[in-house]
Amino acid sequence: MAQTMELSAAKPPLRKMRRTLLGTVPVQSPIYELHPATRLFTLLFLGVVSLFIDLPEINILLIIAIFIYLRWAKVDISGLKIYLPLTVTVAIFMFTVSIAFPGADPNFHSFRFLGITFYLEPLYWTFASYWRLMAMLFGTIQYFSTNRERETLVAVRSLKVPFVITYFLSLALRSAGMFLEDMRTIREAERARGLDETSMSLRDRAKLYAMYMIPLFTLAIRRTDEISNALYARGYTPSGKLENEKQRSDYILTQYQFRRIDTILIAAMVITFVLVGVLRIGFGVFAVTQSPLRIFLLSLF
Amino acid sequence: MTAERLIEVSNLVFEYPDGTPALRGVNLEIFSNEFIALIGQNGSGKTTLAKCLNGLLKPTQGYVKIDDLDTREKGTTKKIVTKVGYVFQNPDHQLFNNTIYKEIAYGPRNLGLDEKQVNERVHEAARVCGVEEVLFNEHPFFLTKGLRQRVAIASILAMRPRTIIVDEPTTGQDLRQSLEVMNFLRDLWQNEGHTIIIITHEMPIVAQYAQRSIVLGQGKVLMDGVTREVFAQPELLAQTFVKPPQITRLAQAFSHVGFSPGTLSVEEMTEQYREICQGKS
Amino acid sequence: MKAVVTKDLGWKYSGRKRFAIEHVDLEIEENTFVSIVGPNEHGKTTLVSCIKGLIPSSFHGVWRGSVEIFGQDVRKLSAQRLAQEIGFVFADPEAQFTSMTVEEELVFGLENIGLPLGEVKERLDWVSQITMIGDLLDKSPYEISGGQKQRVAIASVLAMRPRIIILDEPTSMLDPLGKDFIFEILTNIKKETEMTVIVVEHNIEQIAPLSDVMILMYEGSIAKSGPPEVFFENSDFLIEHGIQPPQATAFIDNVRKLGDYNGPLPISLEASIPVLANILDHRLGGKG
Repeated sequence: MAQTMELSAAKPPLRKMRRTLLGTVPVQSPIYELHPATRLFTLLFLGVVSLFIDLPEINILLIIAIFIYLRWAKVDISGLKIYLPLTVTVAIFMFTVSIAFPGADPNFHSFRFLGITFYLEPLYWTFASYWRLMAMLFGTIQYFSTNRERETLVAVRSLKVPFVITYFLSLALRSAGMFLEDMRTIREAERARGLDETSMSLRDRAKLYAMYMIPLFTLAIRRTDEISNALYARGYTPSGKLENEKQRSDYILTQYQFRRIDTILIAAMVITFVLVGVLRIGFGVFAVTQSPLRIFLLSLF
Repeated sequence: MTAERLIEVSNLVFEYPDGTPALRGVNLEIFSNEFIALIGQNGSGKTTLAKCLNGLLKPTQGYVKIDDLDTREKGTTKKIVTKVGYVFQNPDHQLFNNTIYKEIAYGPRNLGLDEKQVNERVHEAARVCGVEEVLFNEHPFFLTKGLRQRVAIASILAMRPRTIIVDEPTTGQDLRQSLEVMNFLRDLWQNEGHTIIIITHEMPIVAQYAQRSIVLGQGKVLMDGVTREVFAQPELLAQTFVKPPQITRLAQAFSHVGFSPGTLSVEEMTEQYREICQGKS
Repeated sequence: MKAVVTKDLGWKYSGRKRFAIEHVDLEIEENTFVSIVGPNEHGKTTLVSCIKGLIPSSFHGVWRGSVEIFGQDVRKLSAQRLAQEIGFVFADPEAQFTSMTVEEELVFGLENIGLPLGEVKERLDWVSQITMIGDLLDKSPYEISGGQKQRVAIASVLAMRPRIIILDEPTSMLDPLGKDFIFEILTNIKKETEMTVIVVEHNIEQIAPLSDVMILMYEGSIAKSGPPEVFFENSDFLIEHGIQPPQATAFIDNVRKLGDYNGPLPISLEASIPVLANILDHRLGGKG
């Protein structure tokens, strides 16, 4: 059973924080001035726009902008430390591959250092790709650090996605949570039966995951029955259509206001995105060859 | 009979990774051949304490020693599970094999026993728990809940722990099923010599079965003693949000005429009524 | 008016040999509080599922007899109409929480029946108050306890303002404090609304004092029914059928067998205290 504190005396004094998918945001955050749909657009925009932008300078600026945005939203930035190992690992991996397999071309500029030949062009390309990836990563993290499942659903619904899809999206998100909770208990139950994961080979651990499937499916099947009964009992029909041809109402949506600032921001993101796409594909702008830093470095040789 | 100390808990403090304190300084000793009820509201730390008793959770401060084996030491998992078994509340969380036989054999196999010994243990545990051999090749999914719970207990018994902790054995069960599982646990205690620890919310069950009751509240042991004496202290008990059985409360309302505040059953109450009234008549 | 009438009701789940319930004739008056008790697997849940229309719409099997809700055949009503007439709360608080926040969970059913937004808001306020969950509205299901989830489940059903509300073992998974909350809510419902309440429950001690009528289901049929004072007479019969009367009631019943009392059986601790005081007064004061 979950460790829930129902005795008020046992509660530590709480700061007014609201849990999001990956972190917490203060209840008083200015981010709540923005409509969830606008916030969802920041994910779509920041998560994808860097695909068109090779220039590391712009991507680094984007990351800085994301951090400023998070600061403005009063998110605890130190909480993002947990992604540091990930960023370092990715960097090590990408640069190692690029140095070991540069795909050397005689036209490349090269230099020797510590007995290894480095080729500037592939190295710079890796550098640019890395920052592109990071910009996309932080573009995604910012969204999940500042939004909850509920806000995602409101956003999707306000974009007129059919009710049945958003409802199943929410059921899926809901089950994912139960799934993780079950998983934790099952692992404990295995340890209670003398399983010592620390002393296991990788192959045995993989087998272990196969074993989790039995209880997980058992629990899921038993619950599916209950959930579908619960839905029926509440008069739910997948179409969202009512007998007398009325549409179902949407109370939750009315809790959020769509303001002028939202229209402006979404329009700005859409226009920028289209503009960047057209410039990149049609005119080759934002290609890595145009990077000022790269031009400067090449001029040194 | 001299009691042997099985588990020693000293200044046990446990905090969850997010900093939530669950236990704030628990001291306990558990002896051989005891039947103990761990009671208290949700959030009082019962389950956390039980999980510390068999090393599923490691103390943040203080220690838990099982036969002088410190649960904080690394690589003790296999030794601990042969001394303290833990049966989870929902059998579906702990049945992960596709036949009953494999399920009961899973623990002994993890301990590295050979197949002959494993086979012996499976038969023994199944017999004690009333799991018939014809079921050995069935999938746990298709058994009734009561039987799944027995399989879960058998799979723990197969590792032959002296202490068995059972988390809410009667939750969601009806009267007969509750009595059946509790009588079975009592049998393990009386005839097989195990120490049984149950976590429960049902006070009539505690009154009927547990010799000793440990009441937890806000992560501390608030009361620890013979069940009858624990229930006989309504003021102290009220602070823990634990209500003694209804019959005990009725007896306490009439303690001034001679009913014992530690009355545990309707039969005891009726007996006292006879004595009180006949003594006067 | 009769809220529920079943005539010779029977149901056999497909693949089973025996009927889960058989020959059930039941009449429940409007605005009464009915509790259904009995051992597991003896037809309690099947009976209430038939009343709700979950059977036969969501299960396969063989149906016999009829169920009428306020004079209408339950099998002819749509899911939405049924949702408005009869609310249903399940035992497992985990499984019925289908939304990402408490507020959404509460308005989900109201949205399904297409209520105007003003009305939605009004009902939201009413149920949050009656079920004591006002401070949980923007919480997600991970942040609240099992007991709180069950309160939300009841609230979301109450919000629909059904004429009948069925609760299938609403407290079986909860701790004592959680149970107390649910019984307090049931008391509120009984006092403040005209709803007909049908509760399947194992906790005899707490449900009996609330009940107008108690029904014992045994081997698929009604083995005994009546108001609690009558229902708990002959406790041996009940114990044989897997029902433990409230301890105080059982004790007073013993005193009655000793010939020291012949009034009606008290069914709560509170009611037993003056009864016992009276008896003792009589026995001890008179002779001693």
